[in-house]
Order: sequence, then C-alpha cells, then structure tokens
Amino acid sequence: MSSPTAKRTVRDRVGKLLGVDHGGDRYTYVDAPGQGPISASRAVDHWVRTTCGYCSVGCGMLLGVRDGAAVAVQGDPGHPVNAGRLCPKGLTEHLMIAAVGRLTTPTVRGHAVGWDTALDHVVSGFQDLIAKYGPESVAILSTGQLVTEEFYALGKLARIGMGLQHYDGNTTLCMASSVAGYKMSFGSDGPPGCYEDLELADVVVLWGANIADNHPLLAPRVLAPASVTGGATGNRTVIAVDPRVTKTAMVADVHLAVRARGDIALLNGIMAVLVADGLVDIDELRAHVNGLDDLVADLASWPLDRAATESGIDAELIRTVAHLIGRAERCVIAWTMGVNHSVQGTMTVTLLNTLALLTGNIGKPGAAPLSITGQCNAMGTRETGFTASMPGYRSYDNPAHRAELAALWGIDESRIPRERGRAYPDIINAVVSGRIKGLWIIGTNPVVSYPNRATLEFALDQLDLLVVQDGFETPTTAKAHVVLPAAIWGEKDGTFTNSERRVSRVRAAVDPPGLARSDFEIFMMIAERWGCAELFTGWSTPHDAFEEWRRVSAGRPCDYSGITWDRIDAAGGVHWPCPAGPEGDDVPLGGSPRLYTDLHFNTPDGKAKAHVVQPERIRDRPRERFPMLLNTGRTVEHWHTRTKTGRIAVLEGLAPEAWVELHPTDATALGVRSGDWVKVVSERGQIDAIRARVTAIVRPGEAFIPFHWDDRCANRLTVDEFDPISREPNYKQCAVRVERVPSR
Amino acid sequence: MTISDFIAIPVETGPSWGSGCGTGSGCGSGSGCGAGPGPDPMARIGYRGPELLPLDAGQQYRFGFSMNACIGCHSCEVACAEQNGLPAGTTWRRVGEIEGGDHPNTKRFHLSMSCNHCLEPACLEGCPTNAYTKLANGVVAHHADDCIGCQYCTWNCPYSVPAFQPDRHIVTKCDMCEPRLGAGLAPACVSACPTYAITVERFYPDDWRADHSQGDAPELPSVDLTLSTTRIELPANMPATTIAASDWNLRPEHPHWPLVWLTLLTQLAAGTSATADTFADRCVGAALAGAGLLGAMFHLGRPAMAWKALRNLRRSWLSREVFLLSVYAALAASAVVVPALATAATISALLGIYASARLYVVPGRPAWNTPLTVVRFFATAAATGPLITGHTSVAVVGMAVALGATALNWCRLARHHSQPWRGAVSLELRWFRPWTIGRWMLVGVAIVAAVSGQSWMSLWLALALATASEAIGRWLFFVTVVPLNVPGAFWRGAAGSHR
Repeated sequence: MSSPTAKRTVRDRVGKLLGVDHGGDRYTYVDAPGQGPISASRAVDHWVRTTCGYCSVGCGMLLGVRDGAAVAVQGDPGHPVNAGRLCPKGLTEHLMIAAVGRLTTPTVRGHAVGWDTALDHVVSGFQDLIAKYGPESVAILSTGQLVTEEFYALGKLARIGMGLQHYDGNTTLCMASSVAGYKMSFGSDGPPGCYEDLELADVVVLWGANIADNHPLLAPRVLAPASVTGGATGNRTVIAVDPRVTKTAMVADVHLAVRARGDIALLNGIMAVLVADGLVDIDELRAHVNGLDDLVADLASWPLDRAATESGIDAELIRTVAHLIGRAERCVIAWTMGVNHSVQGTMTVTLLNTLALLTGNIGKPGAAPLSITGQCNAMGTRETGFTASMPGYRSYDNPAHRAELAALWGIDESRIPRERGRAYPDIINAVVSGRIKGLWIIGTNPVVSYPNRATLEFALDQLDLLVVQDGFETPTTAKAHVVLPAAIWGEKDGTFTNSERRVSRVRAAVDPPGLARSDFEIFMMIAERWGCAELFTGWSTPHDAFEEWRRVSAGRPCDYSGITWDRIDAAGGVHWPCPAGPEGDDVPLGGSPRLYTDLHFNTPDGKAKAHVVQPERIRDRPRERFPMLLNTGRTVEHWHTRTKTGRIAVLEGLAPEAWVELHPTDATALGVRSGDWVKVVSERGQIDAIRARVTAIVRPGEAFIPFHWDDRCANRLTVDEFDPISREPNYKQCAVRVERVPSR
Repeated sequence: MTISDFIAIPVETGPSWGSGCGTGSGCGSGSGCGAGPGPDPMARIGYRGPELLPLDAGQQYRFGFSMNACIGCHSCEVACAEQNGLPAGTTWRRVGEIEGGDHPNTKRFHLSMSCNHCLEPACLEGCPTNAYTKLANGVVAHHADDCIGCQYCTWNCPYSVPAFQPDRHIVTKCDMCEPRLGAGLAPACVSACPTYAITVERFYPDDWRADHSQGDAPELPSVDLTLSTTRIELPANMPATTIAASDWNLRPEHPHWPLVWLTLLTQLAAGTSATADTFADRCVGAALAGAGLLGAMFHLGRPAMAWKALRNLRRSWLSREVFLLSVYAALAASAVVVPALATAATISALLGIYASARLYVVPGRPAWNTPLTVVRFFATAAATGPLITGHTSVAVVGMAVALGATALNWCRLARHHSQPWRGAVSLELRWFRPWTIGRWMLVGVAIVAAVSGQSWMSLWLALALATASEAIGRWLFFVTVVPLNVPGAFWRGAAGSHR
C-alpha cells in the first residue's frame, strides 16, 4: 500500500511527464517590498546593509535574507561608490554563501574533529616546532579578504602573542609594489586620491589597469563622453596603457599598446618631453620634491626616439600623450597589476608618482596618483597588520614607533619586533630550504595563485605542519594537515577599506554553516590556548578590536580615531585620515577624500622624492625553445582562484575554463584555429591542453592566459622572480612555447 | 555632481556621461566626495530600481543598446537570471562579442541582446497554440500555460531568443520584465547595467516601420526579418570586417528524434497511401500514419496539451500540419474499410506533407528556408512508400530527387559566407561525412535492388535501404541546420558553458 506522499510523487512524476505541470509554481513572481515584482525565489524578509567582499572598489550592497538564508542582493542605491549597480560577481554573491564545498567542521589529517582537538593540535604543533627549531620555524600567510578588525587581531596575535617572526599576506602577490612605491615617493603607504577624482579629471590615465574586467564599477566613472558617444562630444580624455587591447583599452580615447616591460621607457620618455617642452616648472617643485636634479639629468638620456624604440610606442604619440597629461588641468594617473606584477613594480610605481608630482597632480580634486587595489580589504591589512609595516604605518626600524606601540598596548618594548621578517616568497623559499617547518595559511589558495606552482607544491609537501583556515575546500586545504572552517562574507561583522581609503561596514546576515567560526573567533581561541589572551583583554566582538585600532591609529597617516561604526553608517563610508574631533570642522562627515592637500608628505623633511629608474630587460625572455612571451590576468566573471566564483553556476557558464589568446599570425604558423587545443610549455611546467582563442587583441609573439583556474593553471608556467624591494612576483612576463595538440 | 546623482533618474536614455562633471563645481576638496548622500542612509533600503517614463498614446517600449558604452561585464545577463530565478543554462539575455582589425588597432565590441520584442514577431506568428501575444506596451509576451513545448518558436526566431527550458518542459524567454514595467520600473538588465548601455525607450511603432535602420548591427540577423525593435547605437570606428567570438564553435543541433520519426513515417505512409492498390497497402498506410503521429507526441514537452496545437490554423504551418496529418490518419484508417475514401486520404496526405515541409521553411533556419525542403519531403514519400506497393519506378525517381535536392541545397548554401549557410554544409560534409557518404551509398544500392528485379526479396531490400537512407537524411536535416542567432561570446555552446 502506498502512502499519500508516494501517491503524490507518482502523480507529480506522471504530471510532469505528460506536461500537465510546467513548473510554474517555481517561477512565480511576488511583489516584494523594496524589490518590486521579482521571482519568488529571490524575495526577502529583510535586507542587511554591507559592502561587497570581492574587489577593492568597495561597492555598497544590500544582502537579502529569507528564513535565515541569503537569497538576493542588490546594489545600495545611495552608496557613493556604486550608486546601486554591481558587477556580475557582486550580483551573485548571495549564492556563494550556501555554495557547495563549504568547510563545516575542523579536520586533522582528514578526520573530522571538534574545535578543541583541532586547536590543541595547531597550538601544540606550532609550539613544539618553536621549542625545537626556534620562532623562525613557524610562519603565517594571510589574505586581503578578512575584516580590518580581524587583521588587526591577527597581526597582534602573530607578532606579539605568538612571537612569530614571519607573517605576510597574499597582498604581497598584488599590491606590495604600490605600497613600497608610495613609501619611496611619499614616505608612507596610502593611495592619495579618491574615485571622485576620476570624474573630475580632464585626463585619466589607466596604466596597466583593465578596469572593465577587474573593477567594473569604476568604468562608469572613467568612461569619457567621447568613448560613450563615439567621439561626438566630450571633455575627458582616457588614456589606456596596456600591451593587450583590453576591454578597457577598447573604450579608451587613446590606447598605448606598450611593449611588455616598456613602461619605464614610456614614462621616462613622457617626462623627458614634459621637461624639454617646458610643461613642468622644476624650480617651483623644489619646495615639495627632492631628487629633481638627478631626475632631470637622467631624463636627458631619454630622447624621444630612444623612448619610442624601447616602449614600442610611436614617438609622436608619446609627445601627444605627454602634452595631454602636461596640459591637463586635472589628471588622475591610476594603475593596478600591469604595473605591480613586475620585478620592477616598485620603481615603476615611483615613476608614476613622480609623473603626478611633476605635473602637479596630487592633493587636489581631480588630480592624483591612484593605485586601484585588488582584494576587498587589502587596504585593511596594509594599515593594521604587521606585514610591510607595523600597525598604523609604523616602521619596524623606528624606535619611537616601537615605543608608541608598546605604550599603547601596555607591554614591554622588547616584545615589539625590530624587523619585518620574511615576505611571502621568502617564506616559501625558507620552507623549501627547511628553515620553516610549520605554516598557517589563512584565506588564500597559493597552490593556484603562487607563481611557479611546482615549487610551491614542493614546499607545501615539505611542511611538518600545514594548517589551512578557509571558508571553502580548495586545492590548498587538500594539502593541509589541519583544516579550520571559517565563516565568510555575509556571516561576519567588521569593516573593509577600499582603494580610496573609504572605510565601510560589512555585516553578518546569516549564521556560518556547521561548526564554522569567524576568523576573529578562531584567532581569539588560539590566543587563549597559546597563552597570550592578555593582549586581547576586554575583546569579545570585532567591534572591540576596532575601538582599540582607533586608538592605535590616532595621529598616524591612516588615522581612524574619528571613525566610528555609527559614523560609517551615517556617511556611507568614511575616508581615512579621520582624526577624532568635532565633525565638520577640519574633517567632514565622510572623512578626508584626498591625501597631501597641503603638499606636506610623510617624510622627515615633508618632501616627496623623485626617483631615477632605468629599465631592465625581461629575464625569462623569448628564445629558441620558448619563443613566445606569456602575459597573465583576469576575466570579469571570476575572482582570484575561483574558490568562490567557480561554485556559482551562472558565472561558470559564462567562463567555464581557461583559454590562451594567440595572435592570428602565430596561430596560422602553428596551424591552430580558435577552439583548437594547444599545449603551453615554459621552463617550469606546462598546461597539457587549453583552448586557443585566436584574437588580434594580443600582439604577435605574445600570448595571454587568465590565471583563475586550478586545472589549466597559468601558474604552472609563470616565473618565480620577485621585485627586490616589494617581493611581488613577476606574473606578467615569461617565455613559453605553444604547441598544437593533434586532437582530443 | 557625482555618480550618486544618477540614482533613480528616468531611464529613457540614461545619463549623459560627464555632463557637468568636468568642471569641479560643487565638488571641492573634502566636501562632495566623502560626504555621503543623506542623514538616514538606512531609509534608502527599499530600493526598487530606476523609474520608468510612462507611455504616451500609441507609444511602446523597446530596448536601446549602446555598443559604445558597453564594457562587456555581463551584469545584465546575471541580473536577468537573478530577477527571474532562472536555472543555469537558461539565459534570456546574452552578451556577444564581435571583433575586427589588427593589433594594436583591434576593435572588440559587445552586443547585449535579449528579446527584441519585434513588431512582426516570428515566434508569435508560428506558435501553434497562440501562446504568444504582442502587448499594447510593445512586449512580446509568452504564456507558459499555453505553451506545449513544441519549440517551433525556437526555429522561427532569427535571434534564437525563445529557448526550451528543460526543467519546465516548455519554452521561456525575456518579457522585458513585464511585471516590473507594470510597476513603473525599468527591466532588471537596464537597472543593473553599470555603464547605462542598456536602456528602455519609448517609441512610435509606425515611425520604426518607416525607418528601422538603427536596428541593424554587424553579425546580427537583419532587422527586416521580423522588425526587431531594439535600437542599437553603433560605434563610429567599426572595422570593415568582423567576426563573432562564438563563430569557431560550429556544432550540430538537437536531432529531434520524434520529428525524424513523425516526418519519415508520415511520408512513408503518404507514399504508400498514394500508390495503394490493395487492402493490405491501405492497412499499411493507415498504420504508418497513425504510428507517425503518435510518435510526434514525444516531441512535445507537454504531450497532455497536444490538442492545443490546433489553435492557430490561421497562421501556423505547425497547426496545419497537425490538423492535416490527423485528418489523413483518420481518413486512411477509414479507407481501410471504406475504399472510396482512399482518394480523400491521399489528398489529405499530400496536403499534410506540404504543411509538414512548409513549417521548416523559415528565415531563422537558412538551410531549411528553401522550396527544396518541400521537394525533399515529397521525394522521401516517393522514395519509400511506393516500394511497399510495388511501384519501383516511382521510388527510383523519388530517391534520385531526394539526393539531387540535397546536393542542390549544398550549392545554394555554399555561396554564402555566413555561418548559418556555409556552416550547415560544413557540418554535413565534414562533421558527419561518414553518414553523408553512407546515405548516398545506401541509395545507390537501393536503386540497384529496386531495378534489378521484382522479387519479393529485392523489393524489401530496396525498401529497407531507401528508408534507412531517408532516415539518415532526415536526421542530418535536423542536426546540420545552423540557426540564425545573435553573435555570441567565445564560450557560447562550448562544453561546460551553460549557454
């Protein structure tokens, strides 16, 4: 005898087969308050106001919750960053929270355990290694995607509480060169401009910045009317510098298809024109800038024809662009990974800063050098962490800074570290050489993201103890001895700081799954077990960390002391520096949108520094066995190593696998057509089969592969060479060979 | 002025970028940018998207699209899927890419297309159940309750807009977010576009009929086919020659097995009925006709609703096919006992085959859009049925005409350079080469068998070979057709892609 349920199932099945039911009940619309008519599957009970957790544009968002689950998002219509619009990643961010592959329980060597067991394993494991091999034997690799409060807690835990010497983040893989370049030019980190400057500028230069793919919500602020209208009108000129004809280059007014690593020649050439044609007043600049004489002397060695030859840009075009920049009343010079991902990234950043200084484009509306950051809160870790600087952009080698921190925290000054410790690639190298034996990886997936994957995998396999803390299963958690399940965006409270130094709130809307805990809670649990809980006395929520951070940052360039969570809500985000004090006097409600408005820089004498930079040849350059130059980058549908976006069907459908772009000339020589499978080989590894996309957006002799994928991983090919100053990898150029794969 | 000043503006044309933004007035240091939009930001929760301008008398809504403004971010596609709760694989809006020129002067433009809400919608014209209506506001609306999942609209639309949604067993498509329009809101794609490249515009249909030159774009089927209403703003610097990024991915279409069965069996039946001399012949004809029609039911997503296919006899060749073939099956069955009805059965059979063939003659499928399709369907009837009734000479002519018409169609298609024409030949002669060769060889042997003797064995051998040949031919007919479509992105249709 069949039960009523079984009867219904049979009836449903027959009904569906015959088509009596077309599933309309699953596709009904409801007129939801605040949403308008929408699919019932997306109707929400209440909205939670937050900030997007993907890139650092920092779009304001509303995360919709129904019955305790995140079911919808919409852009925050009044948010000053994005005015209610989102990119495809943001538009599906609610789907990420409940996606497959979430980590829901701690594991030790593959076995599910409770938190106590897992954390005891972590703490005793690391402490045993330290006892045996010293504090240098354990290191931490973190991320740019935690909340600021967690970064502040982690830095303090790692360097003071646990007493580790080596702690860095994956931010070294993306923004380290900008950090180092800012420090060299202006005396401290911190992007000087804001997004509004993009709208106010007469000329916007996008140098190695494909914002259409990577920061889509900045595109509407940059697009010149001439680009939109096809050249009919317009008063803003957009100049894109990129070897590839990117989506951004397509909509720019001027595209400089610079030769790979030709940036420095191009920048020197532009500045030489500015000086030679009298478009800069060197004497007037001396009040604010050091190093001008050396610069001017060096620029004499950059006649136009040399710059043209070395950059691959026509001499007259260089002159035209130099005049456009030099004559602009307001010019923004923005850049991202095309500049940073180079062994000369730091020095290239200083040149971009110098160009801004020479042309007076700093400290005023519509005029700034502006690094567009990668991760949602890379800025937060730069400001609060213990990586490139100590919290509040304090220097390890400055005794006064060390004393300040010791006093603020009420600890002995001897506990404050005197040097940075190893940067990310040097941590990996020390693992390879056996000096680091324990590694705690938090919220990053180096198996896919680190250059020269073979070396990285070798390193991780060497470790005595690998602890990985993440929200999702990744190729890196697969290698871990201990896996700690973390809450992710949408489940955590705190703040993010975006590329324009705007501090925004992120909020928990739903509970984390299973046993997953917020990174903040995990750090506090570890502190407790490690025996350093006294550093976090009185902390119970991330807000407590934020309040302490406000005090710690007071008076520093990244001054948060006037920023409260309430003020963030009231203003739609607050730019630092925002010193405590009566609102509206010196600092408006929304904080300080621009740095260096008084042309006083964070150096001992208050002056910025112009550096002389000579270009270096690409070391892994094309040669007989590897005749092509490989460039890597991103595509709009995916984020980093697809830990999140690879789990979202609509995004996967748009870009299901990696591809390699080949110019028609090279493709013809190889006998390859679009869609054919090819093998790509470098000195370090190979991709066995990847689809060719034959397109003239790449230069003949060059290839491009997006790096997001674990299979067909671009980082099997890339070279593990690093900027000597920032330690950022040279992801953008390496030599490869492309071979046709007969058939598959 | 900052970007936030663009909130909730009417969506007629979107904002004009940069107007007022280049002067810096009111945007001084420290005031405009950080200050945020209002004292009570939480009050802003409850956003529903930009407001829509109401229609004046005689006006309709249409989509506008600026190729200059689109940056190819795909937000529109994703917003559409979210608004409508669409499953992976169902995309009511798609962003294509067209490229031309050479580095560094390469141009790649994006074309975001959903339903074009045509003034002469081919989906509506052909729909056998009248599941489509053209609403007063311009929207071409599809009504799920009336859809039987026959998918005829997916062949008729030159933009491949309506698509079968497997989990619902019916076709679905963009309705311009009609419920949102009703609430005075712009469609989800328009509300989502970061660069305001997609707009909703008001227009007078008669003006568009008179001049619709702004409806055309490179790699896009001509606006003339159905009077697509989407207004496309083209870049001034469009290269002379372009390709669609999806062009590499030439692949076979769905075989539609129940339709191979239906058309083959009803044609076999018609050939039998038309040449029937005996009671047995009439029995066979009637049985084949019935079996053919029954098999067709399996093509429908909703077989229980098959009767609705008779609703559009006035316009739809599919309705007429169903009607005429049903009449034929009934008459053929009656003729078994009342031989006087045999002539009527034959007439209805021939009309049925004509309707059956005519429904494939659609602009959206260039390989089918020719009188040769009608010739081929009648040739199949002639090539097979008469072998049952012993009229071998008719069958030999039928087989020759079937192959000849196929070859003539290749010649016709090969003269065009666009993929929907040339690609169809490429599929048949390259992708399915063994089957194409096999089909021709089968016919050769069948003709030899048919003419070599009148023995029972040779006739049946000829019938088996001719039927197999026509079955392969009909299967190739379905799988080698290349639909007209909007230009696609690189991954459209590739393995792993949900499009």
